[in-house]
Amino acid sequence: MYGPPHLQRRTFLKLGFASAVVLAVAGGAVALMQPGLQQGKLTESSRLIFTRAAQAILAGTLPSDAVRNQLAITDLLDRIDTFIGGTPDHVKAELSQLLGLLGTAAGRLAIVGLSTAWDKVNVSEMTLALQGMRVSSLALRVQVYQALHDIVSASYFSGQESWAVLGYPGPREI
Amino acid sequence: MSSIKDPIREGLASGWKVFGGAHAALPSNITCDVAIIGSGAGAGISAELLTRAGLNVVIIEEGQLKSSSDFKQREPQAYASLYQEAAGRQTKDKSITILQGRSVGGTTTVNWTSSFRTPPTTLAYWQEKFGLTDYSPEALAPFFQQAEERLNISPWQTAPNENNELLRRGAAKLGIKAEVIPRNVKGCYNLGSCGMGCPTNAKQSMLVTTIPFALAQGATLLVETRAERFEIANGRIVSLRCIAVKPNAAPVDRAGPATQIIAKHYILAGGAINSPALLKRSDAPDPHHRLGTRTFLHPVAITTAVMPNLVAAWDGAPQSIYSDHFLNTQAIDGPIGFKLEVAPLHPVFFGANLPGFGEKQAQLFRQYPHANVMLALMRDGFHAQSVGGKVELRGDGSPLLDYPLTDYVLEGARRSMLAMAEIQFEAGAKMVYPGHEMAAGTSTWADTKRSIEDLPMKPLLTKIGSAHVMGGCAMAADDQRGVTRPDGIHWQLENLSIHDGSIFPTSIGANPQLSIYGAVNRLAQALAKRLTNKDVVLA
Repeated sequence: MYGPPHLQRRTFLKLGFASAVVLAVAGGAVALMQPGLQQGKLTESSRLIFTRAAQAILAGTLPSDAVRNQLAITDLLDRIDTFIGGTPDHVKAELSQLLGLLGTAAGRLAIVGLSTAWDKVNVSEMTLALQGMRVSSLALRVQVYQALHDIVSASYFSGQESWAVLGYPGPREI
Repeated sequence: MSSIKDPIREGLASGWKVFGGAHAALPSNITCDVAIIGSGAGAGISAELLTRAGLNVVIIEEGQLKSSSDFKQREPQAYASLYQEAAGRQTKDKSITILQGRSVGGTTTVNWTSSFRTPPTTLAYWQEKFGLTDYSPEALAPFFQQAEERLNISPWQTAPNENNELLRRGAAKLGIKAEVIPRNVKGCYNLGSCGMGCPTNAKQSMLVTTIPFALAQGATLLVETRAERFEIANGRIVSLRCIAVKPNAAPVDRAGPATQIIAKHYILAGGAINSPALLKRSDAPDPHHRLGTRTFLHPVAITTAVMPNLVAAWDGAPQSIYSDHFLNTQAIDGPIGFKLEVAPLHPVFFGANLPGFGEKQAQLFRQYPHANVMLALMRDGFHAQSVGGKVELRGDGSPLLDYPLTDYVLEGARRSMLAMAEIQFEAGAKMVYPGHEMAAGTSTWADTKRSIEDLPMKPLLTKIGSAHVMGGCAMAADDQRGVTRPDGIHWQLENLSIHDGSIFPTSIGANPQLSIYGAVNRLAQALAKRLTNKDVVLA
């Protein structure tokens, strides 16, 4: 199980992403926490988190060739930055807090359920972790899974090069 | 190079009075007859009628002014520039994602053109429960008819695309009636790109009809400008404070200058969610604690089918076939009823809305040309356990909709998924994937039925979206039950009318644009008469 069971689900929802986890990790992570966004863009730490999430979420969809795979991920991270740039300030603030927490060891363990550091996580570990969040009884963990899933998927398919995977011919010329 | 004319750019070149954003700088003071907040369905109809009556009108829109030259049929640009919160507006517990427009024309710029009159059963409920005796199908009929003529609304004559046709085919095999959807289009190219802004100006949205009409008559349009707060004294609005905002809705300069608008009359038409929020920010009188309550969505459940043949759900009129079978075959105040439609599928929408991830998901992505997504729009607001949501304010004053998904609604999600999956299999589906985090794809109706019956219907696990916002400033025959009088005037503020979907006391049970056009057409004609003693109608 992840997170203290005595905290009821509604408590987590009311508090929002960050405060819930601050409670869950009993303050230990707070001192170490850096914002996940700087000037509205992903920090290096946040780019690594999204890289790991994307490698699992888009497994079988990203190019298998190593060089093309790396390029696709770099493009994806840039598109995530573009997406975040268009969101309202309250979304940016929430994402920044969330990514900051996920960047700490305690936050990563409490929310994602990963004991391995982000730079060492492999795709199978990440896949298991995402599946655990996806069907968790704790709303916060499902919310975080869905945020990662939706941002990664929407940003990936925002790129025209993803159309070939789908077999989408592109819009009709007018 | 496209030879399609852009009526907005032509209008700007002809000298329309447009301020804000990259246009002329916002003035610090404006005095006018009527200030209209919003530029969507209710605002557009009001703007045309009031300018026809000779009134000096100012329209205030928080989003950008984009037009056919900007509409490139690309999702990322469209979602970022034409939708609230970059198409990611969510309810408080993040269990519902809301697609709501945010540019000149409001949601009418990006909707899928489905146009239904308010169902008679919905009106009967309003008469009985909210005392809206004047809201009968007969009394509203001429106002619907005028709106239908003005916006070229009629049943779609072209053959439905396969995405829609399979709904008709599957339903017919089960003896379920499915019918053709009326659409507000003129010379439609059948591209399927309505949700990204119509690149050919065929969609008769407010952007290309009533708003240009009003501007050509001398109305003023403020864009990228948020109505922050009404100043209120002695039961009247004294003025409206507006600020310049960036495309992501953040203030351009928090300490910067404001635009003060002084009008004889104000029309609030920012849509459900935003309209109650402005009144809350303004500390508007709310003696019976009705403001922002009973804000409704049509919570939408989905099932995805993989068909044996090409569906190409991105191509052609997005919605042309519907079924009201599951609305009409049970009592309106019984278990929740639902309307069946399909969704157009473009890459981002498809990729982000399919539950699941990884290798299995990758296989499903490759079935995209064969995919069909069916939608069940649940009719909320007609039952004791169906009270919808509540609009709250964040610390920065932005609205947040708290919309707990009750067991009543979630039971409807299960029933509607069963209905949709059965129709999809009858239409020939090879696989059906219920919209649920714990569902796997199944290849027979029997297996799918068992799977859906066993799914835990919980918020977040059950994938729910919505594109329709209603209520929060409900009309009622007395101030105990509502915020707005049946004539559209605020119960406590005599120089404020509310002319948008927020005045509906329940959800509609159908895509709401024509309900807004019809109701507001009548309200705005009466307001024009009151203010000018002139009779006006839509062209």
